Amino acid sequence: MTGKTRRGVIKKAMGAAIATVMGVGLLSGCGGGEASTKEGAAAGANGERVTLKVEVFDRGNSPSPYTITNNWLTQYVQKEFGDKNNIDVEFVPVQRSEETTKLNVLMASASDVPDIVFVYDSSVFYRYAQQGGLTDVGELIKEHGPNLQKYLGDETLKFGQLEGKQFAIPGKRAITARYNSYIRQDWLDKVGMKAPTTTDELYETLKAFKEKDPAGLGAKNIPMGMALAPAQYETLIYSFIKPVEGDLTYSQRYELPLHEGFKESMQFLNKLYNEGLISPDFSLDEEKEQLYKDFQNGNIGYMSEDVGQILYADGGLDNLTKNVPDSKIAALDAYTNPNADGKHIKSRYGPNGMYIMIPKSSKRSVEAIKYLDWMTSDNNLLTMSTGVEGENYDLVDGIPVIKEDAPQETKDRVYNGGDMAIMANGKVIGDQEMNEKAWIAGFPKNNQKLMRESIDIANTDTVGPIVFDRPIEAESKYGTALNDKLKIVIVQSAMAKPDQFEAVYEREMKDYMNIGGTALKEELEQALQEKK
Amino acid sequence: MTLTKATHASKSGDFGKRKSYIKRYWQLYALLSLPLVYFLIFRYGPMYGVQIAFKDFNLFQGINGSEWIGLEAFREVFAMNDFYITLRNTFMLNFLDLLVSFPAPIILAIMLYEIRNAWFKKISQTLLYIPHFISWVIIGGIVYQLFGTQSGMVNAILQGLGMDPLPFLTDKNSWLITYLFTGVWQSAGWGTILYLAALTGVNKELFEAADVDGASRMKKIWHITLPSIKPTIITLLILNLGKMVSIGFDRPYIIGNTAVREYSDVLSTFVYRIGLESGQYTLATVVGLFQAVVGLVFILGSNYISKKVTGDGIM
Repeated sequence: MTGKTRRGVIKKAMGAAIATVMGVGLLSGCGGGEASTKEGAAAGANGERVTLKVEVFDRGNSPSPYTITNNWLTQYVQKEFGDKNNIDVEFVPVQRSEETTKLNVLMASASDVPDIVFVYDSSVFYRYAQQGGLTDVGELIKEHGPNLQKYLGDETLKFGQLEGKQFAIPGKRAITARYNSYIRQDWLDKVGMKAPTTTDELYETLKAFKEKDPAGLGAKNIPMGMALAPAQYETLIYSFIKPVEGDLTYSQRYELPLHEGFKESMQFLNKLYNEGLISPDFSLDEEKEQLYKDFQNGNIGYMSEDVGQILYADGGLDNLTKNVPDSKIAALDAYTNPNADGKHIKSRYGPNGMYIMIPKSSKRSVEAIKYLDWMTSDNNLLTMSTGVEGENYDLVDGIPVIKEDAPQETKDRVYNGGDMAIMANGKVIGDQEMNEKAWIAGFPKNNQKLMRESIDIANTDTVGPIVFDRPIEAESKYGTALNDKLKIVIVQSAMAKPDQFEAVYEREMKDYMNIGGTALKEELEQALQEKK
Repeated sequence: MTLTKATHASKSGDFGKRKSYIKRYWQLYALLSLPLVYFLIFRYGPMYGVQIAFKDFNLFQGINGSEWIGLEAFREVFAMNDFYITLRNTFMLNFLDLLVSFPAPIILAIMLYEIRNAWFKKISQTLLYIPHFISWVIIGGIVYQLFGTQSGMVNAILQGLGMDPLPFLTDKNSWLITYLFTGVWQSAGWGTILYLAALTGVNKELFEAADVDGASRMKKIWHITLPSIKPTIITLLILNLGKMVSIGFDRPYIIGNTAVREYSDVLSTFVYRIGLESGQYTLATVVGLFQAVVGLVFILGSNYISKKVTGDGIM
């Protein structure tokens, strides 16, 4: 209940507060208009102390005595970067769950907007860029960001370019592994089956879980854990769709229905739902809360998840072991894709992370670049994400190994390290293999072997995003609506009575195509042609 | 200081009369000025932004810097399928709410009024008010805990009794019932306040006279209690009808979910989605403006009808 309520509190806050703020924001926004980026650009150098405002995600988890705007990391940034460059660095908190809505409000106000903002959603980035709200940082990087340039390389920088202009600085993603599945080995043993290796075998296994009820759960038995969250439905959909070009396909989630094989995936989901094989209330569970509750109570036989998500200390797996001591979890790669030669097709992340942007109205673009450049220089990224060597971690073969016995106070230093080290998504130590090792080293000893297996599975037969050299306008125009529609397509298709599936699916897809799907499809296909 | 001057001037003629009027009542006007300022700043000020509906609003150019596009955005909104669905849902939910939630406090108020035991009356009144102070966010949490198909308490009881679980939250028709009755639960008690206040003004002699005439309890309710709260009922009905096209954001957004989107998506959640989530401020403003205009038509219309039919109105 608390979780659900908390989510609701945030919703409520958004609804009421933002609506008010928006009105005010719009009003104040009209006065601001354009501001030159050149003037005052070098103010810091002239000996005048300036303020640099940087956005930071607030997850409401600051340990006492820290706050989101004043903690060990903000002090570190101030001391190592700010004081040395005559800059006051000020952090502007944004609730993680209202990332885009709050940003929309901030961007509308010329005075409150931070000098460094970021967003994961590419269509938001494109929209800001197209409306002329962002600073072209191409020259600035050349002049003030040698480390930045080196760290990102041309390949990653390309993600932030638009018609030859560098409107965003993409963060770098440490690891592209994305999803993985887990099964209750003890359930398998009890029903006397081997781990399934194809989608069909998986279906048989799930049916056996249902019929034989190996844990004796009765009505609580959930053969396959499901939620209305990407880690659960994307894995299923990817095991039916035909990728557009070899191991690459359209990058956005709401573009999944444009693939061959999507309907089959929905048909399969419908079958699972109607035979009572998946979580009955998955449509209510967008935050995976019920899913985790069921998993930890040992009610779930099989589920897909973000790689490693259940393996964190005191996370899903640890809780399951506590609640059901004789349970055993194994990593599994069961889904096979009939439309892609029976391969274990699954999605992987692109090499980029967030879109980091400098609003056009910012007068501190030079300082902003300097800050990002500083972050990627020397050891700063590692310190910001992991802490101090010898106190928070030890370097073993170049891999930072977290000291688990460090006092809580020391651990708390980097409680939001992932959110402060914006240039990296995950721990960027070196190449992918090093990053994976570093990531695994961060998990509890008992779970590290399973983590290794999970990553290996998540890296098998992956399909990545196609990068076009121009923005797909239909994405920024229809993206949000289609994303929403996708969820409806999934829920309605799954929950339809089997004999009505055809009609329901066709109706929802027709709607999907009408509200922008058609335009999106045409533009994507055209962009694909141009690329060739 | 100006007052002393005013005293001299108030000796003769119209001018003097006006002066003495101001002198006498200026404090009332001063008090009124505060709410007036509030309305000017928070109700009329933001109307400046209504012009966004007629502009291709660019976040970075501000309102003045954006280009006029005439009624183009209106055309776009009126061509959106979602707009009609949300409009229909808004009317549907409000209308059903009016049917179910409007009579509830009246019945409840009459029941409370009839209770003679003061102690019991006070306790039950307090208990009935409490839900009003619980935010929708928390009610949403409670509803999920109670009515979930597998995890909900109500369904656990049903299953314990050997019945099949009911999809209270995921089937659109069952969801409607959940939505409506949560509304009654939350607001009925609070709604009784106005009616009870109106009932305190009823002359007790009327009841005594009715007793002498041998009227039954039902007769008394029908001929004395109800007619005496008629003006209150009408006023509230008009206010409710005026709100027909506007709908709160919290309730449908929190109680609703993807599976019942077909019914739970209303104008307010629609505005939130296209305006704040997709950043299409122009379209969101168009919908908001449309809502305001239709709301005005409704309130004027129902007031007019009420005046014709019953002779009572609010304007």
